[in-house]
Amino acid sequence: MAPLLQVEDLKTYFHLRDGVVKAVDGITFHVDKGETVGIVGESGSGKSITSLSIMRLVPEPGRIVHGRILFGADGQPKDVVKMTDEEIRDFRGSDVSMIFQDPMTSLNPVLKVGFQVREAMSAHDRFSDEQSKARVVPLLKKVRIPGAADRTKAYPHQFSGGMRQRVMIAMGLSNEPSLLIADEPTTALDVTVQAQILELLRDLNREMGTAIILITHNLAVVASLCTRVVVMYAGRIVEEGYTRDIFKNPQHPYTWSLLRSMPRLDAARHSKLLTISGLPPDMSNPPPGCKFHPRCRFRVDRCLEEEPPLGEVGPNQYARCWVLMQNALVTQPEKAAAAEVPIPPLSAEPAQIDQRPDPDRPGAVKA
Amino acid sequence: MTRGTLLYIGQRTLLIVLTAFIVSSIVFIGVHQLPGNAFVGERRTSAAAQQALLNYYGLDKPWPQQYGTWVTGVITRGDLGESLKQRGQKITPLLLREVRVSVTLGLFAMAFCIIFGMGLGILAAVKQNTWIDYLASFLATVGYSMPNFVTAFLLILLTVTGFYAWSGGAFYEDIGWGKLEQIPVPAIALGLLPMTLITRLTRASMLEVIRQDYVRTAWAKGLRSRVVIIRHALRNALIPVITVLGPITTGVITGSVVIEYLFGIPGLGKEFVSSIFQRDYNIVIAVFTFYAVLVGLANLAVDLVYPILDPRIRY
Repeated sequence: MAPLLQVEDLKTYFHLRDGVVKAVDGITFHVDKGETVGIVGESGSGKSITSLSIMRLVPEPGRIVHGRILFGADGQPKDVVKMTDEEIRDFRGSDVSMIFQDPMTSLNPVLKVGFQVREAMSAHDRFSDEQSKARVVPLLKKVRIPGAADRTKAYPHQFSGGMRQRVMIAMGLSNEPSLLIADEPTTALDVTVQAQILELLRDLNREMGTAIILITHNLAVVASLCTRVVVMYAGRIVEEGYTRDIFKNPQHPYTWSLLRSMPRLDAARHSKLLTISGLPPDMSNPPPGCKFHPRCRFRVDRCLEEEPPLGEVGPNQYARCWVLMQNALVTQPEKAAAAEVPIPPLSAEPAQIDQRPDPDRPGAVKA
Repeated sequence: MTRGTLLYIGQRTLLIVLTAFIVSSIVFIGVHQLPGNAFVGERRTSAAAQQALLNYYGLDKPWPQQYGTWVTGVITRGDLGESLKQRGQKITPLLLREVRVSVTLGLFAMAFCIIFGMGLGILAAVKQNTWIDYLASFLATVGYSMPNFVTAFLLILLTVTGFYAWSGGAFYEDIGWGKLEQIPVPAIALGLLPMTLITRLTRASMLEVIRQDYVRTAWAKGLRSRVVIIRHALRNALIPVITVLGPITTGVITGSVVIEYLFGIPGLGKEFVSSIFQRDYNIVIAVFTFYAVLVGLANLAVDLVYPILDPRIRY
């Protein structure tokens, strides 16, 4: 079956006066019908720009300079990049909806909540005016807003953050889109509310079959909602695979470090939390070779010169790392050994990669 | 309108009345402390005749007594007194007539100001960093740096002399007052400066609002650009613009002095200036009081518009 959304070699660049920022630089991934996919990465990794590119809402001076965004599962998918202004307008909020990070500022403060939900439907032809009007209260009920009927006449400032995010979700789902993009939907909310919103998204995904792309930097959020994960770093996909595989067996050093930097209840009491040293790269002047090499504790010489391709590292699991590619190391064993950073034993023994137990790579513990 | 709003209006009206009373008192006391009197300039009158005039208008009495008489007149009969120069002319009807002229001109000027100022500001913001934006900003800067008498002269030159010459004498723009077609030119001359202020403010405010999250939400909903700009962006962007409309309205109505002179419009501004020069104290006091009321009313009107635009504001 054709995927619902197929992003192919998408490049979104920001042309600034002092150079080009390659915010999204050649990413390819897909979302199947009804699937939940997480896009994970630090600030500036390009995850938000990816989602805005799908909506064609990239802020100035950003441009989609290359690639295709094919949408539509049945028969003839349309390329979002090539849509006309009217086509893209009708696509937004109808085929794909988006909810944003900060519910406190994402609703218009001067318009009534019910109106803002209804307006999302009147912009498209799926429902008539009467239907749109009648759907507002059931939609608000569906996202579990207490006293929905009375709340339609309220203004956003009369809602709490969690309730506003529910309104955003109701608005996003109002036209029954086949894909919902949630850009850090829980980041601005407190933890208990986070859990409720995630639960709501999960239930809606099951009940309505809406596919969800969840953009977040929070791995716990991904684990609770998504079946598949795309890990982004500096505008590239560095690892991709099923959530259970990636959590159990992360391959890319970045993913591994991310997982190790998460506090865990079941960790040994004295084990320290790992931090990823250094900062995300300056995107107007990214490092040569692998973008992660300045912060990578497993780097080899080749990482500094040449960017690795996204290679299959397990069943349905892909990662962008030289160390994971046997032949890469085999061809340059001396160079690797002479690298300025002591190379952990692991990278010298690539054969072990697949049997590696839970996120504890040898070498990391000593580091 | 809720009970709270009515209560609020009541309070504000009371304050306006109080302000008017205080302002008129200060002006009354002030002008009566000035040396000389309204009749010293009139050379042909003898000392005895002057004394008789002072006596006739009650100006020879001590000022507290005069003040008492005046206040009683205002409160009981709405009588602002009598002009000292135009003999027998009661000020209240005179003022009402002139206020009507000035307010008519002012409203036309405000309409021009708001429609073109906001329009240009929105256009400049939506088309930011294009030639439209640059042109609008250029016009706004030019308009802002031009005093209104210069604008007035240029407009007179253009409409009166210009149209006459270009149409070969077939069309003559008659300046003055009384006909509807005589209003737009002075209204533009009066409104150009505040218009540029509104343009710049609307542009800045729109640019800020357009970048807000809720405007992005509006786009993401698939709304048409007209709906996004007007319903979602403009309404939020108007709040700071409305704030300056109060002072601008009073500025336009009270600041029409030069324009009224140049275009020969029998309005309040013209009366105000001549009354000061002629020491026609009663008119000075009346005009001052009217201006005080006007400022109060304009600000009240603005404050009443806020809650319509922004539901977070309630009285």
